[in-house]
Amino acid sequence: MSRRRWAWISGCVAALCVAILIADYLAALRRPLDSKIPAERLRITAARLSRKQRDDRAAWVLMAAAAAFLACARQGARPKVPKPARLAATMVRRPPPPAVAPVAPEIEFSAFVEDAIARLGRGKESAIPLLQAIQAHYRYLPDEALRHLCALTEITPAEIAGTSSFYARFRRSPVGKHVVRVCHGTACHVAGARQITDELRRYLAIPEGADTDPARQFTIDEVACLGCCSLAPVLMVDGRPAGKLTPVTACEALRDDV
Amino acid sequence: MSADITRRDVLTTAVRGTVLAVMGGGAGFLVKKANGQIVWQVDAARCVNSRLGETGVAACSLCTTECVVPLSAVRAVNEYAKCGRCNICPAYFDVTSPVDQHGYPSVKLCPRDAILRHPIGKLDPEDPANNFYEYLIDETKCDGCGKCVMQCKDPLGLGSITLRVRYDKCVNCNRCAISTACPQSAVVQLPAGHAV
Amino acid sequence: MKTARLILACVLLFLAIPRHAAAQPVPYQRPVETAPQPDSIGGGYKLPAVQKPLPRAYWLQIVDVVLLGGAMAVAVWLVLSRRNRKWLVWLSLGSLAYFGFYREGCICPIGSIQNVAVALTNPKYSIPVVVTATFFLPLLTALFFGRAFCGGVCALGAIQELVVIRPVTVPRRLDWTLGLLKYVYLGLAVGYAIKPALTRNFLICRFDPFVGLFRRSGPPHMLFIGGLFLIAGMFIGRPYCRWLCPYGGLLAWCTRLARRGVTITPDKELDCGLCVEACPYGAIEAMRAVRRNCLYCARCYDACPRQRKLVQIS
Repeated sequence: MSRRRWAWISGCVAALCVAILIADYLAALRRPLDSKIPAERLRITAARLSRKQRDDRAAWVLMAAAAAFLACARQGARPKVPKPARLAATMVRRPPPPAVAPVAPEIEFSAFVEDAIARLGRGKESAIPLLQAIQAHYRYLPDEALRHLCALTEITPAEIAGTSSFYARFRRSPVGKHVVRVCHGTACHVAGARQITDELRRYLAIPEGADTDPARQFTIDEVACLGCCSLAPVLMVDGRPAGKLTPVTACEALRDDV
Repeated sequence: MSADITRRDVLTTAVRGTVLAVMGGGAGFLVKKANGQIVWQVDAARCVNSRLGETGVAACSLCTTECVVPLSAVRAVNEYAKCGRCNICPAYFDVTSPVDQHGYPSVKLCPRDAILRHPIGKLDPEDPANNFYEYLIDETKCDGCGKCVMQCKDPLGLGSITLRVRYDKCVNCNRCAISTACPQSAVVQLPAGHAV
Repeated sequence: MKTARLILACVLLFLAIPRHAAAQPVPYQRPVETAPQPDSIGGGYKLPAVQKPLPRAYWLQIVDVVLLGGAMAVAVWLVLSRRNRKWLVWLSLGSLAYFGFYREGCICPIGSIQNVAVALTNPKYSIPVVVTATFFLPLLTALFFGRAFCGGVCALGAIQELVVIRPVTVPRRLDWTLGLLKYVYLGLAVGYAIKPALTRNFLICRFDPFVGLFRRSGPPHMLFIGGLFLIAGMFIGRPYCRWLCPYGGLLAWCTRLARRGVTITPDKELDCGLCVEACPYGAIEAMRAVRRNCLYCARCYDACPRQRKLVQIS
């Protein structure tokens, strides 16, 4: 039986006990306290003792029923805040972030850049398709690759700087192994997306101004709307969404992936 | 947490110290003049039911009606050393009632039938009137109405039954409700050693 | 023995004469002038002992005081150190069972205000040491740790605490105004208590709404009021403790000086405000704990997702 039903039952039992007590009290008011007739006296005494016993029992049952009612009724009253199994899990002590932003490893860029130029052309109009190709391959725009690009095409470094900084999707810094997109659309915003993002940044020890953690496992990206507003606030880890987040469960969503 | 002590901290500590000192002083004063536990008891010298010279009037039942405990904490208590063990106890029988065929009054005095009567000692098999009878008061039924107390004194009885507060039932209120109501101020506070 | 038989026989003969009116008083003569002794009663009769039930033993009263202090220490530890509401609820249940239903609410620190007031002002009146201890111990705790007494120890507080189901937030002004009532009550209680003995009136004992429930008996109007307080308490949140308890007034004064207590440090980063929502007693304003109103229920800690990290000593 559900808690609600138990609450109803115990509430009714409690009300019944109260009714018995009130009825006994009112009846006792009317009953005569004494009598001259011996048989009547015995009856009055017996009635008094039985009334006292009945009232005592009713009082105990009332207390038990009230306790049961309270235990059942308070269940759904307040939503329980999910707590981590171990507080220490949320208080991750990461090493302090390095003073400099993460440096890209040494990779040979020339082969891929030449291949892209051969496919897409070397004129100024190919700037965006070339940048997109490099971004799709390396997931960001390495400086070394861009230097190769400028050397092999008619695109100037200034133009590249302008184009890559204009569009938000072009990244100039390395991205982590997993990209975490935190939705900052309207519904998620009012549901606390800022707190989620801040907590994730704290959890991963991402330095100010950067969006990737020093271990280069995660990149936190704030995006416009992921389209699941009823689950606000939402984040997406490598395309896998996680909804109805709290600062704690957001960090746990990251851990599921690692 | 700041390592500096603010003015507010100093002030708070100072006031706290003062309050502690005042409390300590108050507590010390109270402990010095402390007494043991005091309890309420019925003073038989003042109680209307026990006092001599008041017979034939209705017994005062304020002890029954005023007590905050549902079945009053006051009970009639029989001092066996003083009891007359009479055949016809005026507290057991209602001596104003008509007499039945055995020669005893037909009506019992106690409205709760709380007094038990049984013969004791060397029993005379032929003449029950010749025996001694012991009168025990059942405290679960007695509610301290005082009728038996009123009857058991000169000239009818020896005054062995008095109303007494029973401490396993009394909750020891700060101000006994019976004492507030008693017209003779017969319910008084006594040190626990004296009262029992 | 022979004289007794004779007199008895005369009496019986007299009684056996039928009379017209049954209501005529019988000129009954008692047969003995002094109580017969066991040896004259004969038959191996032994004098039964008169039952003399003793009042509560003194060492048991000491145990009560020790339990009071111990329960407060446990409450302080549970709320300030462990921050565990579940165990605090168990402590409340235990306090309700012992101080409430077993001891039937007496002696309580709230009522002891009156006794202490009389003892301080009246040279003829003195109180036992246990009553002094019962009065001062919770105040002492409040001076250092806040209203730990209200949290898990006071039986009246515990019974109200356990019925809080859906508390509403009382507007601050109303809360403050109603809170003044407890000082009025304090003044009245002390005033009536220090009157001369015959007119002395222990208001707190007379108008305690819950003692009738603890004793399972009492004047019906007080039982009714107690029931009303509990039903109201399901939706308002300890109305007696916040607005009527005179001892709560004293504790509120002492808590202002407390060194430690329930503290909420607004987190620069998180600021979720779940503690404000969780507190049913209006003890958190502008994300800071108002210690004098805090009734040590630990709901704020319970609701905080950061728990220990968030709440520090400010």
